[in-house]
Amino acid sequence: MTDPDSNGDTGVGPERGSSTGTPVWVKVFGIIALVVVLLFVFLLLAGGGGHGPGRHTPSGGAGGPAPAIAHAVQLP
Amino acid sequence: MAPGLRKFALTAHVTSSVGWLGAVAAFLALAVAGLTSQDAHLVRAIYLVMQLTGWFVLVPLAFASLLTGLVQSLGTEWGLFRHYWVLFKLLINVFATIVLLMYMQTLGYLAGLAAETTLSGGDLRVLQTPSPVLHAGAALLLLLVATTLAVYKPRGMTPYGARKQHEQRTVSRS
Repeated sequence: MTDPDSNGDTGVGPERGSSTGTPVWVKVFGIIALVVVLLFVFLLLAGGGGHGPGRHTPSGGAGGPAPAIAHAVQLP
Repeated sequence: MAPGLRKFALTAHVTSSVGWLGAVAAFLALAVAGLTSQDAHLVRAIYLVMQLTGWFVLVPLAFASLLTGLVQSLGTEWGLFRHYWVLFKLLINVFATIVLLMYMQTLGYLAGLAAETTLSGGDLRVLQTPSPVLHAGAALLLLLVATTLAVYKPRGMTPYGARKQHEQRTVSRS
C-alpha cells in the first residue's frame, strides 16, 4: 500500500515534504508500541522464555468450576 | 519499478494484507465459538480447524504481506525507513508474524488434545482456554491499525527520510 500513484483518495505522496520535529501521532504510537513490546517481553520471561501451551492452560486442573461440556467424551 | 509491475505488487500486497485481516476475523469467530460452545464435538472440531487455518492461511498470508510490503516499499519512492507510517507498518507486521509463529505451538498442542480419541473433563477444560480469543483479538486490532496507517498515510518523515529528501533536492537543483 505504498504506491505513489495510487493516492488520489488521500491526496498524499512521498514527496509531500516533512514538518519539523516528530509528529505527535508518532510519539503516541511509539509509547504504545514500547508498552506492548515490554509487556510481551515480560510475559515471555514470566512464562520461562517460552510461548507454548503451558502459558495458556490452567495448571493442575484446579482452575475453578468445570464448564458444562467438561465431562468425559469417548469417540466411537 | 515499472508502472505495470508496481500495480501488480500493490495488488498482491493489498490482497495478502487484507486477506490476513479477514482470516484473523474468521479465526476470532471460531475462537469465540470454541470458548463458548457447550457442544464438546463442536469444540474439538473448531480447534482442529483453527490449527489448519493457522498453518495454511494465517502463516502464508502473514509472510506474503511482509514480503510484498518489502517489495512495495523498496520498489517505490516511499522507502522502508523514510516515513514513520511505513516503519510502523513494518514493525506491526514483523511483531504479529513472530507472535503468530510462536502461538502456533500452542495451537498445535490444543489441536493434538482435540484430536485424541478419549478426552477427560480436564482436557476439555484446557481446550476452552480464552487464549485463542485474546490472541486473535489483539492480532485483529494490530492489523486494523496497520490498514488504517496504509490508507491515511499520516505525515511524518524519519530523520533518515528527511536527510534523503534533502540530498535528492540538492542533487536536482544542481
